[in-house]
Amino acid sequence: MAFFTKGILLEQHKEPMLTRNVLVMRQEYEYFDCSFPDVPVEELSAEQIIEIARLAGIVDESDGLMLADKLEKANLGKMGTMVIDAVDDEPYVSSQMCMVLHQPESLALGIRLAAKAANPGDIYIAVYKHIFDMNINIPKSINDIRIERIGGLYPAEDRAYRYIPKGKNRLAVGACAMVHLARAVEDSRKMTSSFITVAGEAVANPRNVEVPIGTSAAEILELCGLAEEPEVIVMGGSMTGRAIFEPEEELINTTTRAVLAFTRSNRSYAYSCIGCGRCDHACPEKLSVSRIRLLTDFGKTDGIKKYDVNLCTGCGACSYVCPARIDVAATVLKAKRIAAQGKKEGAK
Amino acid sequence: MREKLMFQNAPHVRQRESVLTIMTDVIIALIPLYVMSFFYYGARAIALGLCGVISCMVFSLAGTLISKESLNLRDLTPVITGLIIPLLMPADIPYHVVLAACAVAILVVKFPFGGTGNNLFNPAAVGFASVALCWPDLVFKYPAVLSSLSVFGENAEKAATSPAYSLAIGAVPEYDVLDLLLGSVPGPMGATNILVIIACGVFLIVRKAVNWRTPVFFLLTYGALSALFPRIEGSGFDALCYELFSGMIVFGAFFMLSEPVTSPKRDFGKLLYSMAAGIIVFLFGHFGGFEDGFVYAIIIMNVFTPVFDTVCENALHLYRNKEKLKESIESDIKKAAQKPAPAVVRKHKKAENEDKAAADAPTVDEISVKASKEPLSEENSFEKGEISSEETEKIQEENEEAIADKEPAPQEEHEKEKEAALQ
Repeated sequence: MAFFTKGILLEQHKEPMLTRNVLVMRQEYEYFDCSFPDVPVEELSAEQIIEIARLAGIVDESDGLMLADKLEKANLGKMGTMVIDAVDDEPYVSSQMCMVLHQPESLALGIRLAAKAANPGDIYIAVYKHIFDMNINIPKSINDIRIERIGGLYPAEDRAYRYIPKGKNRLAVGACAMVHLARAVEDSRKMTSSFITVAGEAVANPRNVEVPIGTSAAEILELCGLAEEPEVIVMGGSMTGRAIFEPEEELINTTTRAVLAFTRSNRSYAYSCIGCGRCDHACPEKLSVSRIRLLTDFGKTDGIKKYDVNLCTGCGACSYVCPARIDVAATVLKAKRIAAQGKKEGAK
Repeated sequence: MREKLMFQNAPHVRQRESVLTIMTDVIIALIPLYVMSFFYYGARAIALGLCGVISCMVFSLAGTLISKESLNLRDLTPVITGLIIPLLMPADIPYHVVLAACAVAILVVKFPFGGTGNNLFNPAAVGFASVALCWPDLVFKYPAVLSSLSVFGENAEKAATSPAYSLAIGAVPEYDVLDLLLGSVPGPMGATNILVIIACGVFLIVRKAVNWRTPVFFLLTYGALSALFPRIEGSGFDALCYELFSGMIVFGAFFMLSEPVTSPKRDFGKLLYSMAAGIIVFLFGHFGGFEDGFVYAIIIMNVFTPVFDTVCENALHLYRNKEKLKESIESDIKKAAQKPAPAVVRKHKKAENEDKAAADAPTVDEISVKASKEPLSEENSFEKGEISSEETEKIQEENEEAIADKEPAPQEEHEKEKEAALQ
């Protein structure tokens, strides 16, 4: 049934990164003082785990929130399902899946600790299903924690959360944060590094690397080597990231997922829109992308409310499929901004 | 490194397919038809095709110069128009007719409306239609198959009657169905080779240059109608075969009706569009004067394309907002349920009366205030944690009831605000 869902099929380009383990950049680790250093790992209470997460300063890489806060809130309410987010449905980006494949022990330990703190009814790891261009068997479970393959076409991360049965609370945490939690409990090490993917046509040695937070993009590209002069450098992700101009100035933060270097800009050729309607078909929210684009380009944004622009998630599927190489996603986001402004003015 | 870096918007990877590849696919699918017409009519077919392509290219060059747009050599749409127009005509058509059709297609239909992608009508259809109005004797009289035509000069033989003409006058065509499928019947130069056309159409569908819905539903509608109301004597199946495989029905279904610029965007719109086109072609066949009214049907349907688009948009707008609609209906029901506020007042009055009777007992107001305060604080604590929408709704409902018991006015204001936001 996965092929009947809305969305697009992407070439994943994950192969050289996923077959190799994480490359650790040389760095100095920081440690924190714990008030209960002698408690064995298995006997830690929920409050103690949350305190350790707070002391280590662990930030969830999928949404940028403090892990301790998330676990604390989960601990208060009745938890239904805990999802470990290792979906990685964007091309090239694969740091979370790399945790599942190459660091399963620390990932499993982290998940067990988080489960103790949050006390959920059900735990699973979510991994993207449709990765065709690689020959890796993703295991069915890690230490009795089952792995669910999220099927369907591109914006799958969103859907992974949406299809959790209704009426239950859910908690989604990133896989890298789980590894950081395991390290914090075992070695009382602070979270000073971040797992990112370095890839793209211009990168000589595409890998997942663990770099200290605050490293500049240029240093990371130097670590992996540049085969060619890049024309575009992207920070964030291949579908939703942003192009950067000064790689020396751009620093890695806790939610950066990837640094990508491409040899060729995708703006090289432009055609005129032939109205094929592929953008409408690709949109996971069923928006009328072609109409919104026309209305925004011609400045007729009065009636744009009818087309529900505010539902746009910015996944970029419309631009990806556009055969005329038009920046449809940027135009729709602009329309969304305009509609939001109009709403505010109307409220005033 | 820094000087060369470029800016680009969010999706940094793109599909490999482009307008150029789609256009090339269509051209590749049209080439076998020229091979077939070369087999049936000789080198004149190729010469006509070259004439169409070159004239369309020249006219579009002129169009870009006049409209002061930048020239885009990757735009292959004029080539497709120039290839389609001669295929709709008999193989011995004079070159000036093709030239006139191309001029109308490019200079009248395409460029006044803004060039590629902005035309309201299918250029090839309008080009052919206008030529058919001007030279009906030339356009609808076909040479015999396998007759050797001279590349230059007049071809006097105009003997053969096409199956479409036989159908138009109510006679059973004198050809076998197998002949119709293979294309060895008089007719438009490239539109008679049904099997080749279907193979090319399947290629286009597989390459996703054409959405399968448009040709399939068009052919189904037209076939069903012509089988139910046959123009000739005989069984419905015979009528179906003759009607479908004569004229330019199959060719038009794959190459003209499914053109992306002038057809609706959504799948459901395409379905409606193609079915309506089938009905109109059928009506033209039954009541029209020409032997082949397909191009006129396409022109009429092109007018209604925005209507189908708008219908689909409105339906989708409702679909996207179905949860909001549900919520608003539910809130209306809640409102209706909460409206008997006097009952609460009576309760209060009763309580007051009872209070008067027993003066020392604690008042109901104090109890309700306590009750309303406690769940409120709970709700705040839960809001921070991630909690399901249903449970929060339940708590909110309880709170709302408690608040409504106390003071019903602000609740209504909230709902009014919500409604305003929804509208």
